[in-house]
Amino acid sequence: MSNINGKVYAMNAITPMKPWKTWILRAAFFLLDHVKPMQKDLIDLSFIEFARWVVVPRKGLPFLGNGQQEEVLQYDYLLFFSNFNGTWNQYIDAFSAVLAKGLNLVWRWSEKFPGSVPVTLFKEYIARVQFDTDYYYTAYPHATANDVKSAHIVQLSLDSLSAVAGQSTPQQFADAWLTFVLEVQTHLGETGDAPIAG
Amino acid sequence: MPNKNGSVYGLTILSPIIEDPRATPSHDLQIRDYLAGLSTREDSPFALAPGTHLARLVVMDDVVYVGAPACEEHLKSKYLIFESNCDGDLDTYLSGLAATVPEHLDAIWRHCVGYPGAGNRKAFIDYMKACQLETTFFFAAVNNKTVTETLRALQTQTAVADFIAAHQGVEPAVLQREFIQFAAHLKSQPIPLPGSMGPHRTIETGGRNE
Repeated sequence: MSNINGKVYAMNAITPMKPWKTWILRAAFFLLDHVKPMQKDLIDLSFIEFARWVVVPRKGLPFLGNGQQEEVLQYDYLLFFSNFNGTWNQYIDAFSAVLAKGLNLVWRWSEKFPGSVPVTLFKEYIARVQFDTDYYYTAYPHATANDVKSAHIVQLSLDSLSAVAGQSTPQQFADAWLTFVLEVQTHLGETGDAPIAG
Repeated sequence: MPNKNGSVYGLTILSPIIEDPRATPSHDLQIRDYLAGLSTREDSPFALAPGTHLARLVVMDDVVYVGAPACEEHLKSKYLIFESNCDGDLDTYLSGLAATVPEHLDAIWRHCVGYPGAGNRKAFIDYMKACQLETTFFFAAVNNKTVTETLRALQTQTAVADFIAAHQGVEPAVLQREFIQFAAHLKSQPIPLPGSMGPHRTIETGGRNE
């Protein structure tokens, strides 16, 4: 079991939903996908590298024959997979504090969802529906989502400066250098080992 | 398309695990045992094959019962979940896995119902697609960069920080000359290996994080 790799935590959760409610949820996700301002809080949280929700219809689990028994289920299920930086408690606290409305919109269709506020009951529910990861890989375990965003800003600025460096006078270069440093100075955070969680 | 966000693909695969009461240990346990010994660093199969940002493998034993008045129900099979956030299109990604790390794929998925083996590329891709679930909503913090571009950018970020720190107050002509050398040197550097922890740094990063 390895929910953590470097600075990333893998979270898996599964919740049952009455089938008629999944259509409301699908509509909510359609809106979230197409009305980008609705994703603002999710983006601003800035410690989620990737996340996904998958609605599994009660007859939608893969059935391959070959001796596999067909599933007979009453509920549709909502699968949630998140790759986030920090600890479980930080993540759930931040989710509850910042994304309460969004979370309620997504999970209120799941059975027995208590709401994302107060956070104690929310945490209890998440702990109940969560299951552990057996194997977790990341290509850049030393970096957080913010590190990755910043690194691409630094790369872009460096490429721009490199393109003019050879054709400038020293004074022109010094001016361009100053602009470059101002652009990147808040994006040079250190990557490396994760802080000790405990 | 919900499986994609920008140029990143959100792959979700649930493969039913073979239920065989005569198998000892059971097939799900054999998967877990293999995964427990699998490297998550530079020699991970997902580091050796191209295009994986983050991936996980999870044995899902059953659905969850959340308590009354909800109905209690159970799955008839256990499922191996493969969740990957990867570059490019699905066929290219799956082909890359099958071409680069077939022995790992076979060691894991041979415990799943109907797995044809990675040696038969078309059958392998067809099998994976038969087990694929469509993602309903996929979020990616950075959705327009490949794994290689991100590893390169992280390398650049560290090098630039060091270069700036070492060139405070340097004369413009010297700064320009050394920057051109630095940029050329950086460009010629090999890209860090996927899955590596990056260059060792002496900076202190300890402290409680709870």
